[in-house]
This record gives sequence, structure tokens and C-alpha cells, in this order.
Amino acid sequence: MSPSLIIAAHSLVFLFLFSVCLFGFIIIRRLVLEQRQVQFDRLYKQIEKDILEAISLLDPDFSLAVARRYKSHSRVLTQVLLDFGDIIVGEGRDQLRVIFNHAVKGLCLKHLASWRMTKRLQSVRLFIVFFDPAESAFLFRLLDDKPIIKLAVVNALARIPSPETLNHIFKAFEEDTGFTVQAYFNIMFGLGNRTEPLVKAFLNKPLPVDKLGLLVELVGAIPLRTLYEDVVALAGYPDKEIRIRVARTLGKLLIPETVDTLVALSSDEAWEVKAQAVKSLGRMKSLKTLDVLERSLFSPFWYVRYNAGYGLAEMGEEGLRRLKEVAAQEEDRYARDMSVMVLNDLIFPGEAA
Amino acid sequence: MNGILHTVLHVVNVIILVYFFLINAFYFLFTVLSLYGLFRHRDLTTYVSFKEIFRLPLVKPISIIAPAHNEEKTIIESVKSLLALEYPVFEVIVVNDGSTDLTLDRLIKSYQLEKSRRVFRKVVDHKPVKAIYTSASHPKLVVVDKVNGKKADALNAGLNISRYPLFCAVDGDSLLEKDALLKMVRPFLEDPEKTVAAGGIIRLINGCTVKNGQVREVRLPRNALARFQIIEYFRAFLGGRIGMSMLRSMLIVSGAFGLFRKDVALQCGGYRTGTIGEDMDLIVRMRRHLHNMKRPFEIRFIPDPICWTEAPETLKSLSRQRNRWHRGLLDTLLHNKVMLFNPRYGITGLFAMPFYFVFEMLGPFIELLGYIIFAACIGLGLVNYSFAVLFFLVAVVLGTLLSLLSILLEEYSSERYPRLQDILILTLFSLLENILYRQWLTLVRVIAFFDFYKGKEEWGAMQKKGFVQAR
Repeated sequence: MSPSLIIAAHSLVFLFLFSVCLFGFIIIRRLVLEQRQVQFDRLYKQIEKDILEAISLLDPDFSLAVARRYKSHSRVLTQVLLDFGDIIVGEGRDQLRVIFNHAVKGLCLKHLASWRMTKRLQSVRLFIVFFDPAESAFLFRLLDDKPIIKLAVVNALARIPSPETLNHIFKAFEEDTGFTVQAYFNIMFGLGNRTEPLVKAFLNKPLPVDKLGLLVELVGAIPLRTLYEDVVALAGYPDKEIRIRVARTLGKLLIPETVDTLVALSSDEAWEVKAQAVKSLGRMKSLKTLDVLERSLFSPFWYVRYNAGYGLAEMGEEGLRRLKEVAAQEEDRYARDMSVMVLNDLIFPGEAA
Repeated sequence: MNGILHTVLHVVNVIILVYFFLINAFYFLFTVLSLYGLFRHRDLTTYVSFKEIFRLPLVKPISIIAPAHNEEKTIIESVKSLLALEYPVFEVIVVNDGSTDLTLDRLIKSYQLEKSRRVFRKVVDHKPVKAIYTSASHPKLVVVDKVNGKKADALNAGLNISRYPLFCAVDGDSLLEKDALLKMVRPFLEDPEKTVAAGGIIRLINGCTVKNGQVREVRLPRNALARFQIIEYFRAFLGGRIGMSMLRSMLIVSGAFGLFRKDVALQCGGYRTGTIGEDMDLIVRMRRHLHNMKRPFEIRFIPDPICWTEAPETLKSLSRQRNRWHRGLLDTLLHNKVMLFNPRYGITGLFAMPFYFVFEMLGPFIELLGYIIFAACIGLGLVNYSFAVLFFLVAVVLGTLLSLLSILLEEYSSERYPRLQDILILTLFSLLENILYRQWLTLVRVIAFFDFYKGKEEWGAMQKKGFVQAR
């Protein structure tokens, strides 16, 4: 046999065996998973029934008995606790906590140090649900972990908004970079007004644009109306992204004292800032901005005209009158078309504004 | 003379062998990377609740643009599936691209559409819009009726009319799973500055049953061609695109389901109307533009948002579709040939473009050349039959192995085919596709090459069966 023939024959045998093994693996894996799923579902239903009973009885002894019974089935029990932990509150959750503390917690603490990220993540998630402030020290250690774990920890800490945990959250926000920065918004948003002193302090710090922008957005989203002066102070920020967010936030805070800032932003050099400022002015419904909105209808920028049109529509009778005037003129057909469209939308109630 | 012929044949044989080795090595590499990528993705999403994304106040609104040309059989179900999507803020823009059937009438009747005097900003060029319709009963829906200008033109019209910063391009005959947008938007939330496009997975709806715009029961189709295509889609999406995405070399986000940043798409001039491979063309031009601007960017493939689409079930329809795809590939690669082997374009210029050029564009020629050389060798009595048979078997088993790996990837990603017999059938068809089907596709792509040079621009409409409704 020639060498090429030997190589081809060996390749064929190797590939054939590899394929057969792979096929066998796929089939066996499927069968094993199906079997495991059947067992999992059966046990899940059993645990679910007992846990529902524990929640309705509110008897710690019964809950303890449930914990002991299923301690050896930690995988299924963990899943049930995760599923119920998210939806059960009040005394019912206390019973779940009893079961967690006696059946899963030890393992969970061990898993917090596991080399497998999924295990650490699952444990952190359980801690998010059954958080005990006394145990926050365990979680603080994980603040130096990978971003996704760190984020889960921050989520857990957000459940107990003590000044200490809030400081940890904001410190983590300051240190973090990359994709998790955006996720902090959600966490801080959930903390609501409690974040006010820290947001105020951070707005005055030299932060990167993405972080500063998020904080400005946060002021409008919660909303933190008392911080409007700190937001107004950023209206002259050199980066247009911040000015856009300032304009948007002021439109959410609706503080009459900020109208002048918005009017100034409506003549900004960047059209994106103009468009946002005009939109926010429309929301303010201040009659003294009618002229600015009408003028903006003649802007060369489509989005500015669009926001000005809908802004005027928000102003009631006087706004409508101005829209009709612009719709009737012939000098600027772009302004006319926009006014016609807005008026048409007002007549046709199905149109999404 | 005979000696020269022998030398030429030997050299060509070596080239073909090297090509065979390289292409399979790359496919194997992509599959291994995909397996790693799938595990990583699964780990990270196991404990992420997509409902949480729903509550995020910063989540960006999305305009879904669905061009439709003669889609009367599927359009209502498709729009139903789009309107039923779970996402905080979105609009659905159906662009009726000069349909000659009842597509528009059915939409008007089903959604009580009324003509609207909506004005829009014409940033990119397209054929004239005849009318814009809105619906009193479905405020999220906008239907644009325009003069036929092909898919890219229709998408450009949709881009101009859309209002939101992200747009999702979907086919008018596709169904999206309810949580598809929530899953797809994740990279845009994680890295809003860098992420410019993301693609989801396309699955074939043939054989499945549909209710209220959602796939209710997943079954394999009876049609053999559709079964072959299911395996091809597994290989392409689960094997190829996850791997390419991990190498930051993805050049295609499927036109049937892709999410894009509108500002970047508009900076590139929107879709190029002269091309029929508009999906690949947009991604390549986006890459080119962003490299030129020296802006860091990410184009991601997400393996769990699912879009269902109908595959052709006749040889004629399938050959038209593949002919079009190959012409689109040729057009895009040649239009952007400046990027080929150009270090200025980073991995796109040094790996992704050359890969598509050598293995996707020239691949069919090299494969056909192999068959021709084999036939010539038989004629000249130069064939070592034992080696030829062994080599053929190696090729078949290797092809089957790659398909089996993609079935494994499917098992790890979502296990959509619930019955064990589905896996057995798919394995059988993985084996069978290497005989005749693969060679036929090679021929179709070679013909496409010549059609491209003849300047053929025909879209190649596919006969639609429509979705099978669940009772």
C-alpha cells in the first residue's frame, strides 16, 4: 500500500469512529437528559407541594422538616427556592429562608468560592433572594470578582439599601468599566430617592462621560427633582452627549426654573441637543416657549421640526393655532408638511404619537 | 507531453487536497469555537432574567422593518408575530414593495388601515412611496406602500420612515419568537457604544405548526430538500456564525433577522440598492466605514433569539435562492475588494474577507475542478481507484461529522426538535446530503457566478406554501 493510501485509510477509520462516538454521545446524552428531566420534574413537584404547604402553614418546624427531607436533593431544592423566592414575599419568604438556611446555605457559601462561574453566580442569586444583612461580608469579598459576579453582588446589596451598601454600590460603579456600567443604572434606579446624596456627590466628581451621562439620566428617571441645579450646571458641558442628557432630564423633571436653560439648549450648536431641548420644552407646556417651538418648526433639522410640531400639539389651543398657521403658509414646505402631519395625527386617534 | 499533463494533474490534485484540508480545518475550528461560545453564552444567561430587561428604563426603542413583496400567504401571521413581541417600545413598519398580489389588501382589511399624512426624513434614497397607512386598532403598525424597487430599496424606505435609534430588519415571511428582541438587544445594552449590529438564529418553519403568529409545535418537514436545509442552517448559524463572531469576523447578519444601530447604517448610506445580497453588503460596508473612521465596534451573533422562516421545497426555488445568495456574495466581495488582504481593515481585511473570497466565492469552482479532474483522470486511465474510493468516503464521513457536530450544537443551544427520531432522521440526512445534493449545490453556485458576470439581477421569487396553522 502506498503512503497516501495508508493515510487515507487511517483518516477514514478515525473519522468514522469519531462520528459513531459522536452520534452515540448525542443519543445517549438525549436519553440521559430526558430521564433526568423526568426525575427532576417528579421531585420538583414533590418539593413544590411541601413548600406550598410550608408557606401556608407558616410553621418553622414544618419548614425545618422540609429542609431536612430534601437536603440531599440540593439541585432541585435550589431551583424551587430560586423560582419561589422571586415571587413569594412577607412571612412566606421567611419560611423559604428557613429552608434555605438549613438545607442549601452551607453549600451555597461553599459555591461562592467555587472555580466554576455558574456556581458562584447561582449562589449569589440565592443570596440576592434570601439576603441577610449580617452576611454582607461574604458578598463584599466577591466585589473583586468577574464583572458578572460583581454585578450580581451589587444586585444583592441593593436589597439592603443601608448607607454602607449604598457606598459599596457607588464605589463599584466608580471603579467598573465596560458593559456592566449600564447595568448599574438599573440597580440605582431600583434604589430610588435613597441614592440622592450620593448622586449629588458623584455629579460633581470628574467622571468619564458614559458614567456622568448615566447619572444625569438617573436624575430624570427616578426622578430626583431636588438635584435640578446640579443638572443645570452641566448644560455647558463640552461633550454633546451630556448636553443631550441634560436636556432630556430637564424634560422629565419639569421644573419651571429650568425653562431658560432649555431655551438656551434649543439653540445649541449640535442638532441632537436642539432636538432634545425642543422636545423637553414641549413637555414643560410653558406658554412662554411657544415662540421657540414655532421657530424650531422651521429648523433645517427634521428631528427638531418633528419635536417642535409635537411640542406645540401639547400646548393646547394656542399651540394648535400656531400649528395651523404654519400649515397654511407656503414659504417653507418642510415646516408646513410637519405641521400637517401633526395636525393629522391629532385628528386620527389611532396614530402613535 | 504526457509528462507535462501528469505534472499539471499532480499539482492540481495537491491544490485540491490542500483546499479540502484547509476548508474542513476551518469548519472544525469554527465548530469548536461555537461549542465554547455556546457554553459561555449559556452560563451567562442561565441566571439572567430577560423580564428584567423589559423593566430597564434605558432600553432603546426599536423600529422593526419588514419588507414584503407578494407575501399574501404569510403576511398576516408574520405581522401578528411582530406585533406580539415582548419589548417595551417598538414600532412595526411593513414596506409593501410593489406587490402584485393581495398583500396590501389583506393588511388593510386585517388591521383596519387608514391612509396617513405622515412625513418622513429622506436620508437615504428609494423608489417613491405611494401611501403610508396606520392602524386605529394597532398603533404600533405602519404600512408603507411603495413602487417596487427590490428588498434593499424597501428597507431604505423603512429606514427613512422609522423613528427609533435601533432597527430590526426582518423578512415579511418570517416569524419571530416573542422574546427574540429582548434577547437580541442585550449586546446593545451591555456595550451601547461599540455594538453596531447583532444577528439572531434562523430556523426553518417547514413542518412546524403555527398559532397566533407563534410556532407551537416543532416537527421535521416531510420534504427531503427542506430536511437538507435544516442541517445546512444548523451548520451555518450554530457552527459558522458563532465561530466567526468569536473571531470578530462575522460578515453576514441574516437579512431575515438582524438588529442594527440606525445612525451607523445611515452613515454608510443605508442599504445599497444595486445589490441583491443587501444583508451581507450592509455589514461589510459598516465594517469598512468603522475601520476607516478608526472607531472600535462589535458585530455580535446571539444564539438564542429565534426567527422562523420558510425554506424552498422544490429544486427550482432552491436553485433560484442559492443562485441569488451567491450572486449577492460575489457582488459584495467585489464591491469591497479594497478590503481584501488589507491590514488597514484589521481582521476583516486579513481574515474574514479572504476566507469568504477563497472558501465561499471560489470554493464551488475548486470543488467542480476536483470533479472535472477526476473525470479526466478516469479518461486518461490515471485514477488510483482504491485511493479515489477512500478519499470519497473520507469526504463523506468528514461532511457527516461536521453535520453531527452542528446537531450537537443544536442540542446544546435549544433542543428544539423534541423527538429522538428527529435526531435520527437528521443524522441520516447529514449522511445523504453528501451524495448528489452537495454536488448539485456546487453546480448551482458555479452557474450563479456566470449569471453574475452576465449581469443577471433577477431576485428569484420563491413559491410560498404558507404556515401550517395549529388547530
